[in-house]
Amino acid sequence: MGKQIYTLPINRVEGDLELRIRIDDGRIADAWSAGIMYRGFENIMRGRAPLDSLVITPRVCGICTTAHLTAAAQALDEIFAAHVPDNGKRVRNICLGAEILQNDVRHSLMLYMCDFANPRFERQPLFDQACRRYRPLRGRSAQECIAATRQILEIVAILGGQWPHSSFMVPGGVVSVPSRADISQCRYLLEQFRDWYEKQILGCSIARWQSVQSQAMLDRWLNENPSHADSDLGFFIRFARAIGLDRMGAGHGHMLSVGLFDTPGATNGSQKLLPAGFFKAGDTTPFQQEVISEDISHAWYTDDEVSRHPFDETTIPYATGNEGPKYSWCKAPRYQGLPAETGPLAELAVAGNPLIRDILRRHGVSAWARQLARIIRPAVILPKLDEWLQELICSRDVFFHPYHACPDGRGIGLVEAPRGALGHWAQIENNQISQYQIITPTAWNASPRDSRDVRGPWEQALLGVEIADPQNPIEAGLVIRSFDPCLVCTVHAVSL
Amino acid sequence: MKKRTLYWLQGGGCGGDTWSLFNGRTPDLSQLLDSLNIELLWHPSISNLSLDAYHELHAQLFAGRIKLDLFCVEGSVVRGPSGTGMYDTLMGKPKKDLIATLAHQAMDVIAVGTCAGFGGIGADGEIEATGMQFHKFDAGGFLGADFVARGGRPVINLPGCPCHCDVIAGTIAALCQNGLGELDKFQAPVEWYGTMVHQGCTRNEYHEYRVEEMRFGEKGCLFFYLGCHGPLAYGPCNKSLWNHRSSKTRVGVPCFGCTRPDFPQRYPFFQTRNIEGIPIELPDGINRAHYMAYKGIAAAAAPKRLKDRKTGI
Repeated sequence: MGKQIYTLPINRVEGDLELRIRIDDGRIADAWSAGIMYRGFENIMRGRAPLDSLVITPRVCGICTTAHLTAAAQALDEIFAAHVPDNGKRVRNICLGAEILQNDVRHSLMLYMCDFANPRFERQPLFDQACRRYRPLRGRSAQECIAATRQILEIVAILGGQWPHSSFMVPGGVVSVPSRADISQCRYLLEQFRDWYEKQILGCSIARWQSVQSQAMLDRWLNENPSHADSDLGFFIRFARAIGLDRMGAGHGHMLSVGLFDTPGATNGSQKLLPAGFFKAGDTTPFQQEVISEDISHAWYTDDEVSRHPFDETTIPYATGNEGPKYSWCKAPRYQGLPAETGPLAELAVAGNPLIRDILRRHGVSAWARQLARIIRPAVILPKLDEWLQELICSRDVFFHPYHACPDGRGIGLVEAPRGALGHWAQIENNQISQYQIITPTAWNASPRDSRDVRGPWEQALLGVEIADPQNPIEAGLVIRSFDPCLVCTVHAVSL
Repeated sequence: MKKRTLYWLQGGGCGGDTWSLFNGRTPDLSQLLDSLNIELLWHPSISNLSLDAYHELHAQLFAGRIKLDLFCVEGSVVRGPSGTGMYDTLMGKPKKDLIATLAHQAMDVIAVGTCAGFGGIGADGEIEATGMQFHKFDAGGFLGADFVARGGRPVINLPGCPCHCDVIAGTIAALCQNGLGELDKFQAPVEWYGTMVHQGCTRNEYHEYRVEEMRFGEKGCLFFYLGCHGPLAYGPCNKSLWNHRSSKTRVGVPCFGCTRPDFPQRYPFFQTRNIEGIPIELPDGINRAHYMAYKGIAAAAAPKRLKDRKTGI
């Protein structure tokens, strides 16, 4: 087989993505990732009232809408110098957490593992079981997932009115004042989700799972009990290894997390439950937002400077089609000039999760490790959400501190969204938004090349991936989807 | 029941209507499709067709060998830059071309959400977004005011950002059972869009006696000062509750009028435009002088328990 170039539309990625891959003797020799939609929020946002970001930015994305709201509210907290009471932080965290829970299991059971039911794998011994579990809308696990995720999102409606697309977070906290009965309902919803997650996804209690702290312990856990091997996690591990996902999709290996959940009770400013940081070659360095830039050398934009910090960025669309080096509506975010992948794997690696650190040390990054981190993240989040709900029941504290008139100024909202590092950079002048830039998790992951011609994370991750049938290049899809892509965010949210 | 086919397309949008649809309980998505014998030909967030099967599906649709019954469009039609549609492409071609082709083949076209119906978020922006058969308040949009789908109906609009799951499921079911009722002047089914958003809001007693809030986190009504569109916008939010639990207005978030053709409005959210303390925009069909007199008397009649915010919501 000689060299050939294929353009592949990729679905189940929340939005529009096309990959161009060069296949050389059955393997991907080069890849270009193209976001193919631009929505241009900047003219909509510029000149609008400061609080309008709370209404507009959640609409950037229908599945991580609460994460955008959180980032927008945090940027305004900073501008207004508003002090969010602990109960406001708790409600924000619980709603963001519920959104993350739905995302992690929906992505795993509905958007990712339904490829295990693709005819391409019909000779796999586990194929029939994969079909029974994950066939779109029909598989048993897929159907259970629809019911469980629908229910966990009821928490966001009780505390924030609706999901998706509410605007209940405002500078200084949240607008809602949930009663004890409301919070109690949330606890029952969380408990039911936790029971389902333990039974269906883990096949064991969260407490048992937490003792799995190394690759060797993971293998012991898998073989210890049929309920582990038959759980969705157990099945994922077995099927993914059988098709070699643990040996593909490595990428650059640099990872970024902006830290998950603002801890209530923090004495000096913002303290994150899972810390922010940049992970490279086994080491983590503290996160600094100042070293973030976006490069437009290969993106369909024009500017005097090829690379700028979000506060100084412009967004001037400049579509050249196939002419010249530009090929995507995604800009190329860089951290200290380097591409970085982001998501649950990065989050847990930066936070020093023993199992994830051990897997990375022994085998490095892979599509398997990324997806594993996503399936097990709820086990990290669920106990914290319950703790915060219990604290809410006992607390008499307020949920909101009134703020004064809006001053001119700049604010930054940095949030670990379901898919990783999300940043909003906002500037207010004369009571109007004068600058609003968003860098989404998928902007990091789907980044095109930069001016030094360095590939974006998933372009790099595709190199060397074996493609059995170019007409059904499912291996490329499995690598890309291990990043949980969300193109609706990225391609139109490069700037607001 | 006769088998029908459904194709779901996403244009310039966020996918929120799809995830709203997943909130459905009676029916959930599987039950909806099974009970109505609908074959889901394609949904960008659900389908797992291989690449060649995807191309084959389109070839069959274009050739008319597969009959398309229901064509659901989520997200706006992106026409920019300069009418080319190149801000939203599929395999190098503008997606709006695919939208036009499928709209003319389908028995019924459903515009799901405010972006698909009226242009929504991008309607004033450089992407030149428009709705399937309306541009904001004006008939026309992408397909033109005269467009009629092969089943004899114009585009059916289901506004909302996002649209409520029960409205999407209910409309699909009504079409399959030949039971779609009257449409309003914006081609939305009166069954769901004949109700004001604030009908059923738990703050209505506060509204009634003009106990109005100027700051967040209180129990009173949000209409006079905090920009609530509950008495101005049509939609079932406080009847068919969100996620079967609540609504924005119930928890203290003003209604942003997301079902209206001009959403997102050009003036600021979270504040009410008013003349001498009375909102400029009053509920549909109300005489301003009468309203002022009524609100004056209502405020005077407000019981202490409401003025003291003692009554629960």
